[in-house]
Order: sequence, then C-alpha cells, then structure tokens
Amino acid sequence: MSPEKQALTSTSSAHTPVSEGRSSNALAAALTRALGARKVLSNLSERLNYRYDAIQFGVTPLCVLLPESTADVVAVMRAARAAGVPVVGRGAASGLSGGAAPMVEAVVISFTRMTRLEIRPERREALAQPGVITLKVSEDARPHGLVYPPDPASFRTSTIGGNLGENAGGPMCFKYGVTGDYVKALEFVDADGDVHQLTRDAYDLAGLLIGSEGTLGLITDATLRLSTPAKYTRTLMAHFPEVGQAAEAVSSAIAAGAVPSKLEFMDQACTNAIEDYLHLGLPREAGAVLLVDTDGDDLHTVEEERALVEQACLAAGGQVRRAATDAEAAALWQARRSVSPALGRIRPQRMNEDIVVPRSALPEVVREIRALGDASGLTLVQFGHIGDGNLHPNILFNPRTESAEAVHTLAHEIALVAIRHGGVLSGEHGIGTMKRDFMRDAVDPVTLGALRDVKRALDPTGALNPGKILPDDVAGGLHAHP
Amino acid sequence: MNNDIPAHVPGGQGEVMAHAVDACVHCGFCLPACPTYALLGDEMDSPRGRIILMKEVLEGGLPLMDAAPHLDRCLGCMGCVTACPSGVPYGELITAFRGWSEPRRTRTPFDRAKRYAILKALPAPKLFSVAARVGQYAKPLAPLLPNALRSPLDLLPEHVPAMQPSPAITPAKGPQRGRVAFLVGCAQQALAPNFNAATLRVLARNGIEVVVPDGQGCCGAAALHTGARDEALTLVRANLNAFDPDDFDAILSNAAGCGAGLKEYPMVLHGEPDEARARAFAAKVMDISEYLNGLLQDGALEPMVPASRPLKVAYHDACHLAHAQGVKAAPRALLRAIPGVTVLEVPEGDLCCGSAGTYNLEQPELATQLGQRKAKHILSTTPDLIASGNIGCHTQIQSHVRRQHSGVPVMHTVEVLDLAYRGEL
Ligand SMILES: Cc1cc2nc3c(=O)[nH]c(=O)nc-3n(C[C@H](O)[C@H](O)[C@H](O)COP(=O)(O)OP(=O)(O)OC[C@H]3O[C@@H](n4cnc5c(N)ncnc54)[C@H](O)[C@@H]3O)c2cc1C
Ligand code: SF4
Ligand code: SF4
Repeated sequence: MSPEKQALTSTSSAHTPVSEGRSSNALAAALTRALGARKVLSNLSERLNYRYDAIQFGVTPLCVLLPESTADVVAVMRAARAAGVPVVGRGAASGLSGGAAPMVEAVVISFTRMTRLEIRPERREALAQPGVITLKVSEDARPHGLVYPPDPASFRTSTIGGNLGENAGGPMCFKYGVTGDYVKALEFVDADGDVHQLTRDAYDLAGLLIGSEGTLGLITDATLRLSTPAKYTRTLMAHFPEVGQAAEAVSSAIAAGAVPSKLEFMDQACTNAIEDYLHLGLPREAGAVLLVDTDGDDLHTVEEERALVEQACLAAGGQVRRAATDAEAAALWQARRSVSPALGRIRPQRMNEDIVVPRSALPEVVREIRALGDASGLTLVQFGHIGDGNLHPNILFNPRTESAEAVHTLAHEIALVAIRHGGVLSGEHGIGTMKRDFMRDAVDPVTLGALRDVKRALDPTGALNPGKILPDDVAGGLHAHP
Repeated sequence: MNNDIPAHVPGGQGEVMAHAVDACVHCGFCLPACPTYALLGDEMDSPRGRIILMKEVLEGGLPLMDAAPHLDRCLGCMGCVTACPSGVPYGELITAFRGWSEPRRTRTPFDRAKRYAILKALPAPKLFSVAARVGQYAKPLAPLLPNALRSPLDLLPEHVPAMQPSPAITPAKGPQRGRVAFLVGCAQQALAPNFNAATLRVLARNGIEVVVPDGQGCCGAAALHTGARDEALTLVRANLNAFDPDDFDAILSNAAGCGAGLKEYPMVLHGEPDEARARAFAAKVMDISEYLNGLLQDGALEPMVPASRPLKVAYHDACHLAHAQGVKAAPRALLRAIPGVTVLEVPEGDLCCGSAGTYNLEQPELATQLGQRKAKHILSTTPDLIASGNIGCHTQIQSHVRRQHSGVPVMHTVEVLDLAYRGEL
C-alpha cells in the first residue's frame, strides 16, 4: 500500500478538504506554471491512476504530464532532469509486462492527448503522434485503399507509442511482420530533452528505440508504412486429438511452402472456455484447434496455399473444415477473438506469457508446457500466433485462493522451456518487469553488458523508465500485483 | 484486481462492489468506449480509472470528495460494459457506489436543490409537465442564466405538448394474438406524448391488446443511478405491485432507460425478500422493438405501406438499449422491414450522445460537447430521418441537430413504424 494512503472514516470523509490529496511537489508546481494546469496532474486521485498497466501496479507517480506537443515533452524532460526525477512514458497502459508501471517515484508522461494523424496516400505512409490509437491508423487509411497491417489483439485500445515501445505484433505478423517492420522514421526526445529525427539507415537507431519500452527515449512522432490489402482471403479451421499434432501440422505446412497470413492456435482448455461462453459449436474433445488464413492478389495461389495447409493438417492426424463464405470465416475467427473474455470468466486474474520458439521445436514445447501446467495444479491454457512460433501460455488464477509464488514459479519454468529450445522470452509483449528476472537465463553476460552500454550511452543517469528490461540496477521496491 | 472492500463495506452492496473490482484486470479495453475519456483523454475519467478510484475510496485510501468529480462525470452509459472482455459488472459497481457514497458526501446548497427538484419532478409526469411549461416560458431568459440552468432549457421543445393519458386498455384490432402490459413512463409523457400513442396504435394494429396497469409509476432508474436508493426502492416496489407478470405475454417499455431500469430490479432487490418477484417481473420485460421484432421474425408482423420515396434512416443506438439491454439488431430489423427504407450506420455509433439520465443537468458542458459530436456524426450520413428508441436521446439529438441548422426530423422508432402503417411515410 502506498505511503500516501490514509485511514478514512465515513464521518471524516465529508470534511476532508480536496487539497489534502494535492502533491506539494515543487516539480509539479513549476511544470504547472510552465505548461498550464490542464496538462499537469498532481492530485492523489489523479496520480493513483497512472501507476499501472494491464498486468502490474507500480509506485504512485510524483506527477503526471499530458503533453500536447513535442515541445511539451522537451519541457518536461528538462524539468525532470533538473530535479533529478525519473520519467516513465505511457500510452494506453494495455501493456502486459509492466512497462508503463513506474517502479520508483517518477514523472509519468501520458501520450493520450498527442493524437495527430495524417495519411499521405501518395507516399503510402501515415504520420502519427504516439497517442494515436492503433486501429485509427487503419480506419483512416481505408478510404485511400490502404491498410496498416500490425494488428495486436489490443488494437482498439493500444497506442502507436506503446506499440513502438513493445514492438507489438499480432495474428498477421507471420506474413506481414510486426510494428517495427512498418516504421520509416521516428522522432524521439532523449533523457536530456534533446529532439532526434531518425530514419532506418546508417546505424539503425530507430530500430533500437523500437521495443526499448521507453528506456532509451520517448517517441514523439512516427512515420509508418502503409500497404494495400490482399484481394482474396481463404480460411480454414483444423482440429487435432492432441496438442503436439497441431504444432506438427504448422511446421510441415510452412516447410511445404505455405505462407499463411494468419495462423493461430488454441488448446483444449481454451476452446472449452470459449464454448462455455459462446456455444459456437467448437470441437470440445479436440486437444487443439488451428485457425488459418491464406491471402494474396492471385486467387489460385491463395487456394493452393490453403490446400497445402489442409494436407499438412490431415497428415498430422487432424480434421479440417473450410470456410465456404466470408460469413463462415468471420464466425470461425470469432472464436479466436473471444479468447480473452472467455478466459476472464474462468479466473479473475492471469499471467500472460509471450514466448517465441523455433517452429521445429513447437510440438515438444507445447507438450512440455502442457505437462508443467498439469503438474502445477494451476489452470494453464495455451494459444498464440503459432505460425512464427509465438505462444501465449496463460496461467489463470484467483489471487484470493492461489499463491502468487506458485504462479511466478510456473511462469519461470515456462520461460526456461522456451530458452532450452532456443527460444526467446518475449515475442511482442516486452520484458518490462515481469520477465526481467529471466533475462539472465536468456542472455549471456557479455551481451547483457553490451545492452547496458547502449542504455548508458543514451541515458547516462538511468532516468528513463528505471527498473525495466535490464536486471540488476533495481531502484525502488516492486509492488506485488494487487 | 485484489481488494479489501468487503472488510470496509460489509453486507450485500459491499459484496457486489468487491466482485466487480475483483473481475477487472485493468486491461484498458474499455477506454475507447468511454465518452468522457474520448473528450478528456485522462485516466481518471475512464472506466478503468473510475474502478480504481472507487476501490481506493472504499478501502479508505482516498477521500471520497477527491474522487467524486471524476465519478460524477460518468454518464452511466454502459459503453464500457459492452467493451469489457472480462465481463466486469461496472453498472452494478457504480450504482451500488452511488448509493453508498451519497449520504457520505458534501454538496453545495445549489446542487442539493437541483437534485431535489430533479428527483421530485422526473417521476411525476404532471409536475414535470408543469415544470416544462414554466421552463418553456423561461426560455427567452436563457442567455441570462448560468449554463447549468441554460442547457436543460435548450432541450425543451418550442411547444410543450398537452399530456395525453393512455387508456387503461387498448383492444387488439382484428383477431387478438397477444396481451401485454405497458409502462407509460414519466418525463416522456410530458415531452413526447406521441411516442406512447404510436406504440399503442402499432401494437393494436398487430393484434396485441395493451393494458396500462393502474398504480404503476416511475421505473426508479433515475433515483437509483443518482444514489437515491431509498426513493428508488419505493418506486420499484410500487411497480412490482402494479404489474402481475403472470397476466401478460410481456411487460413493454418504449423508453430505453426505463426498460433497462425495469430489467435491473433483481439486482436492486438482491438479497431481499422481494428478489424472486423481481426476477419473475424482469423476465417478462422487453423493449417495444424487441417485442415487435419477435413478431417480425415469426412472420407475424403486419406489413407496412412502402415509404413514398426511398428513405435513408440514420439509426441512433440509445446506450440503455444497445449497451444496457443489448438490443441492437431488433430496431434495425424493424426499420428495414418498411419497404423503401435504408438504415444508415452512424460513425462512432457506440458513443453516448451525452444525455444519459440527468447528465444534461449535472454536467452541462460535457453533455453539450457530446451532443454536438453526436449530431455532427449523424448528419455526416446525410439522412432523411433520424430514429432512436429513447426520449433522452431524442431531445438531445433534436436539440443539437437544430443547433447545427438542420431540419432533419428525429423520431422514435415506433413513430416511424406508425407512420408507415398509416401510409404517411
Ligand atoms: C487483452 C490484451 C491483448 C493483447 N494482445 C496483444 C497482441 O496481440 N500483440 C501485442 O503485441 N501485444 C498485445 N497486448 C499487449 C499490449 O497491448 C501491447 O504491448 C501494446 O503495444 C501496448 O500499447 P500501449 O499504448 O497500451 O502502451 P503502454 O502499455 O502504455 O506502454 C508500453 C511500453 O511502451 C512505453 N511507451 C509508451 N509510449 C511510449 C512512447 N511514446 N515512447 C517510448 N516508449 C513508450 C511504455 O513506457 C511501456 O514500457 C495485449 C494486451 C492485452 C491487455
Ligand atoms: S475492459 Fe473490463 S477488465 Fe479491462 S480495464 Fe475495463 S473494466 Fe477492467
Ligand atoms: S458508463 Fe459510460 S461514461 Fe461511465 S465509465 Fe462507462 S463508458 Fe465511461
């Protein structure tokens, strides 16, 4: 519980002056004078709301800034630096690794009001400020016959800044790539408050900023590449008696030359959760379900690719259903989109893993994780963008009745399975604080040293999002997920 | 998320609130659905932020009056409930919280007087009608008044129509196919008596006998959602006594807010002796569009006269129909059943028009901004007609459409059907 929390009785509440929650912080006062009260939040009621993301609660910030321009960000950065206070960037706080939750008392810069978006159809690009909601880019591009392919499941909520911070991906990423693949240029403000304009040549400094979770600089503008949508899409669903068979089918379909635009998998626990919720008629007894889209501008190739996937599924022991119409395809995809709500109904809380393993190792990995889950006594489900080896094993738990330690232990074991099979800790959700402890298992000491050198070069005093990604230089205490 | 609420607020309402807070995984999926977040862009004025604020206040970590301004800005539109993947019962949380916090908070004398007036006038159609008339005469003074008084005046029609009491029984025309009870509503009777008249005509035309049971009153939703729990309970019990669900095929409402209120009775009486009665009652409650769509789907809806020319109808989803009751397809299907009518979808259609409950009176600035935004989006579809299923949305949209110098008529869905039956569309 934060030290600012105070006892409150029902009789005293009515008389508590509003000013009691106001931070007496000099930095907040100076920033209010410089930028105006609209952009600076310093009441406790306001600050309490900028200490969490979708996975974790952190330390209540000293004050919160809602910039409307790059110049505002520069002003905050300079003031914070002068006051020796760290800075944490924040988008929609839908992150699943603790990235936007401050680990020490800090200034939080929330980008939700920097939402300028310009589509330049002739250059097939979009100019987006960091607070633009991901879906909005595609919506605004559509009338020009263009799309923005990166499609995290959170795209209705998450911001471009947060997507860049985490290098977000989604179902389309096997064929079309992740956020970073669509960045042409970036503007960022460094820890000193200096503004930099980056393109993708020479040292790919933009590439370094992408996925750095706000630890190297704050992105204030992005030029994003748009593309044209595929003319044809074909969909199929396959189900398998056992979870490893689904993974085998994926490996062999891709080996045979299929490049599906979406390739998603759900295990039995997942499909049953969805059935309980929506009664879509999914095969409850199946160990795993695959959902596959192939797309392109040449119908023949698109259907040929679907046939390749179909053969691989049958050969691995699966049963296949083709979607005959768009409506049928949409119905099949409804199942995948419902994973989150369906799981939310089983247990109030979940730990969402985000590992990526080589496709050849998939069958082994999903079987090992299944076994770990069964042995742990916790509820574990698996789904993910299996086409590029991205798996989301989710541990569902009730914090009132199940131990947080057991959850953490299982999560760590799962991470180790991924590493043992040549995989990585994060496909799209980032390291944040949730997987920081596992970094030593995943990265050798020399490389870890190089990462620290990079961090020091751009942020010598460690002012940007302290306590994230890199283990060791922990400042401040970690608050348990409340 | 973890919380200690039951320890601080023992009893049924504490449990209701703890359950809702527990279920929230703070993913933020509700943010884009929230009208105040769309306007203000800050977390305290978002559903996720409000859940945190309520949790902190209930646990004793934050003074109530620090959280109050943000909680007061919530429209209760339930857009967040539709958007939430985890099924967080936000509506139950905020309703229970408002009931719990009302006696514990401070209000200025002006606010107290305003609340008192609203709570007294809304459920009393006659009183409301008088107030509306007074308001109508006060309209020329509007520019002199503070905004808090000016906005509600803006919403009043130029001419406040005479009250038209509904007959106790409206017989079916032709062979009788059904029998329903009808809740006549309160403010609506004063502001738009034709909604009820059209409803009775359309039902009768379809062979449905309509009974307006004696002793019915306000649904109680306005009282409940502003924290006046005791007043609400009195109104709820009166209606439970007035309507015997066994006597009717359905209990119908043509005001989205009232229909949603009636469907909430089991939650209001949770853990009380009347809970079972409330369940039986709520099981029969339907919006007029749900009921008529049932006929349509069974092939039993009387055919309507084709519109005199191709007609583009922009349909506005009332929050309490779409989000609170989950009724989206039925009114569209009914409008499409009129030969010659095309139904248009409004951009940002899921966002509240800003008139939820008493919002125009409590938060006039935000209500105005939302109203302008809604009218702009609706007019961008260049409709011939605007249809909606709620009196609050109706007055709000009408007022803002006029302010944007458009003469497009705004009607209740059932009024459109009524015109089609009469061959006047
Ligand atoms: C139900 C659910 C489903 C999800 N599905 C997916 C998915 O399919 N794929 C996926 O990749 N992710 C997914 N996510 C995770 C999350 O939505 C993404 O990580 C997203 O990119 C975060 O965006 P945000 O705007 O919410 O950022 P935040 O959570 O606010 O921030 C994320 C990180 O970026 C940093 N940051 C924010 N803005 C800036 C900036 N302007 N400059 C520099 N750094 C910044 C923050 O400091 C933080 O470290 C999901 C989350 C949820 C809750
Ligand atoms: S969408 Fe639901 S679970 Fe997510 S923050 Fe909003 S209320 Fe909580
Ligand atoms: S009910 Fe409406 S206004 Fe209130 S928090 Fe939910 S979406 Fe926002």
